[in-house]
Amino acid sequence: MNALFWWLLVAFLLFSIGAFGVLARRNVILVVMSLELMLNAVNLALVATANFRAGAEGAGVLFALFIIVIAAAEVAIGLAIVIANYRNRRTVQVDTYDELKG
Amino acid sequence: MPGGDFHALLFVIVAVWILVCGLGVVLFRRIMYSAVAMVFCFLGVAFAYALLAAPLVAVIQILVYVGAISVVIIFAIMLTEVQTGRLELFFNRQTAVAAITALVGAAVLAVVSLSADIGKVGDQSLTPGLRQLSRLIFDRYVFPFELVSLVLVGAMVGAIVLARREGERP
Repeated sequence: MNALFWWLLVAFLLFSIGAFGVLARRNVILVVMSLELMLNAVNLALVATANFRAGAEGAGVLFALFIIVIAAAEVAIGLAIVIANYRNRRTVQVDTYDELKG
Repeated sequence: MPGGDFHALLFVIVAVWILVCGLGVVLFRRIMYSAVAMVFCFLGVAFAYALLAAPLVAVIQILVYVGAISVVIIFAIMLTEVQTGRLELFFNRQTAVAAITALVGAAVLAVVSLSADIGKVGDQSLTPGLRQLSRLIFDRYVFPFELVSLVLVGAMVGAIVLARREGERP
């Protein structure tokens, strides 16, 4: 049991909490929030590995920064879709988003 | 436990903070409480970065997540919140399956990371300094860096187009 494992364990648990939120909650904004938790968990794992693993040479930290930027773009797009859909349907419950169902 | 005694204590505090706030996000009934828990979870992750000797990522985390993303999410909540009386069903019908999936996923990840050979793992800080990091960004990874800024511009334009009403001039 080294230090890296404990940090990775925290990241895995946070990832699972986020995955649970994505799968189980009905409010679509909460699904987006849980998605952010999952991305944060991935970043935590990357930075922890970059910190403890010799030879990574900053790539872990750099990828974490890239992921933060992509997550910002993802939130902007996702919430724009939510707002546009809310304007038409007056609901934010994911199980009512079934217009594409055959 | 990581590092020395003091470091281990900080690790436990930060870990409990992150996980409790994360659970708060998925378990609170009121979505505004979830949003506040999410902000504190992001702050906890920023502290974790600081503990992991990555102060640049910690600062960016506070700027982007605690500052920008939280505000956008809270705006979206306030634009869409329709709460009529008691909050009825706030979990999907597949909650049990979701919980099992999440737990199994965490267990698999933990087992794999324990058994995987990820090379030499040190106990000291190996994170690069700011100078080395900026050299990486603008030398070796300059193409992904420019590509990411392109993605960001595209996302911003796309978000405006999507959220705009039909026929409305921007």
